[in-house]
Amino acid sequence: MSNYQDKVIRFYKKFKRMPSFREIAEITGLKSTNAVSKLVDKMISLNIVEKDSRGKLIPKNLSGTIRILGTIQAGFPSPAEEELVDTITIDEYLISNKEATYMLKVSGDSMIEAGIQPGDMVLVERNKTPKEGAIVIAEVDNHWTMKYLRKVGGRMVLVPGNKKYPTIVPDEELNIAAVVIGVVRKY
Amino acid sequence: MSGKPLSINSFPRAIIHIDGDAFFASCEQSRNPALKGKPVITGSERGIASSLSYEAKARGVRRGMSMMEIKKLCPDAVIIPSDYETYSLLSKRFYEIVRRYTPDVEEYSIDECFADITGLRRPLKMSYEKIAAKIKDDLDKELGFTFSVGLAPNKVLAKLGSKWKKPSGLTTIPGYLIHEFLAEKEAEEIWGIGEQTSAYLKKEGVRTALEFARKSEEWVQSKFTKPTIEIWQELNGKLILQLDCVGRKTYASVQKVKTFTPPSNNLDFIFSQLSKNIENACIKIRRYNLAAKKGVFFLKLQSFRYVGVEVKFSRPTAIPSEVIKIASEQFGKMFDPRQMYRATGVMLMNLEEDKIKQLDLFNEVLRAEELKTLYKSVDEINEKYGKHTVFLGTSFMANEQPQHTKQRADQALRKNVTFKGETARQRIGIPMFMGTVS
Repeated sequence: MSNYQDKVIRFYKKFKRMPSFREIAEITGLKSTNAVSKLVDKMISLNIVEKDSRGKLIPKNLSGTIRILGTIQAGFPSPAEEELVDTITIDEYLISNKEATYMLKVSGDSMIEAGIQPGDMVLVERNKTPKEGAIVIAEVDNHWTMKYLRKVGGRMVLVPGNKKYPTIVPDEELNIAAVVIGVVRKY
Repeated sequence: MSGKPLSINSFPRAIIHIDGDAFFASCEQSRNPALKGKPVITGSERGIASSLSYEAKARGVRRGMSMMEIKKLCPDAVIIPSDYETYSLLSKRFYEIVRRYTPDVEEYSIDECFADITGLRRPLKMSYEKIAAKIKDDLDKELGFTFSVGLAPNKVLAKLGSKWKKPSGLTTIPGYLIHEFLAEKEAEEIWGIGEQTSAYLKKEGVRTALEFARKSEEWVQSKFTKPTIEIWQELNGKLILQLDCVGRKTYASVQKVKTFTPPSNNLDFIFSQLSKNIENACIKIRRYNLAAKKGVFFLKLQSFRYVGVEVKFSRPTAIPSEVIKIASEQFGKMFDPRQMYRATGVMLMNLEEDKIKQLDLFNEVLRAEELKTLYKSVDEINEKYGKHTVFLGTSFMANEQPQHTKQRADQALRKNVTFKGETARQRIGIPMFMGTVS
């Protein structure tokens, strides 16, 4: 029985939705609809899933049984487990739109005053409207270039973070491919 | 001109088909502006074109052409090695973006998917066409290259729609307009109608897809088998072919083939190539918790002929050392040192769920169980430290030498641009912008 439940839960984890009754039959190999609905009833009674108003399955507590807090000591639950609920991973911290985030390796020192060094990993996001003053990745003469986006005299220009380099004033339309959202350096 | 409609509905069901425009070449162009506007061809490591940018197509280059032909036809072509890792990462993002709108997505191939958006007008507060346009817009902007979309009442017509205008098209085929679209298409241009069927249709005087769709049900039933009848039904606006949203749950057989250059007659090298293929095939079937009851081992000669042997195993297995032992016993039957070979391959067949078998008299099953435990650890190590961290000695030569010696530099670009802590085997799973970033 719990093997079947695992399969249903695994389906949810993989596809981010609950399977239909027909799909439950497919993934568990149960032949009759009766068997499937028995399995579902069991999962409902265990508080794992519930049915919505249209009878479709929705997840309730897929991580299994009711969460056990830490061993009770002096009447208070051990905080560790509960406190971790509000933490995020470093991926989640750095990236907001996963599908639109790319990375690149910096090759020049034109942004050194922004603290971005050659060899650094820069995370960038496509389809994001840049604010003035943001660091952007633009396409200039068939190459990527990373600069501050600034407005000078009513037009957008690309300003390096290094006095050795000139400001780039685009001839035509400025083609911005992505906006820098983070820099990572591993030592 | 094309007469009365085939259907009076607009969208009893709303199915979209999305197709990446020149997917691999576009992945390359979108990450490196130096390639934009240029005839880009991927597949240099295989010696033939596997994907072409629209610029390359316009110059007359076709898929499957050899690099020699391409250079003659299009001297300024940019020919680059495939980077399947990056293409796969972008393909996954492609599906994920579509899933923002509907969970019912069929991952049809690396660059195509179907999605069912029926009933989403009200929750998303948009028309079907608007939803399709929105998905396309997200894809184009977030992946950095264009997609073509077809919206229709079923899969066959949605596929027709995405092909209608390429690149970057969005074609809507509501039920009441099907006949106008079909009037302009030859029957053989319909997805699922093969050469045989279209040749037969021509003999029967049916040329366009509309003429086929207008045939009576009796006529179609009497002349064709189920797959063609289903296409006929879909051309008439019904939804017959369901979306397969669960994806592949299992396989009936698994094949691994790898070409190497230059061709060789070195027995040890060729056997190690076969050994590596067997290891890879076993990794794949273990991932699906399967075991094989039969295997075919084969060698491809320089003359493109194949030699092979088929072997039935005494019990189902997913353990490479067992399969390789059998392969080594059979290898002499295939291998002739006077011949030159260019590829090896293995097909594992009659796959079934890998479960504990009844114990036998000679503890054979018990030994097999021990090996299974061992390989569980091997899989875990390889998962943690990268593919082929642990491999069998028989695969040593294949793992130590590049698959194609002449084009040593012909490695996917991403493998040569790494960050501290990344290795040749394991990289961060985020696509990378390429070219110099100054």
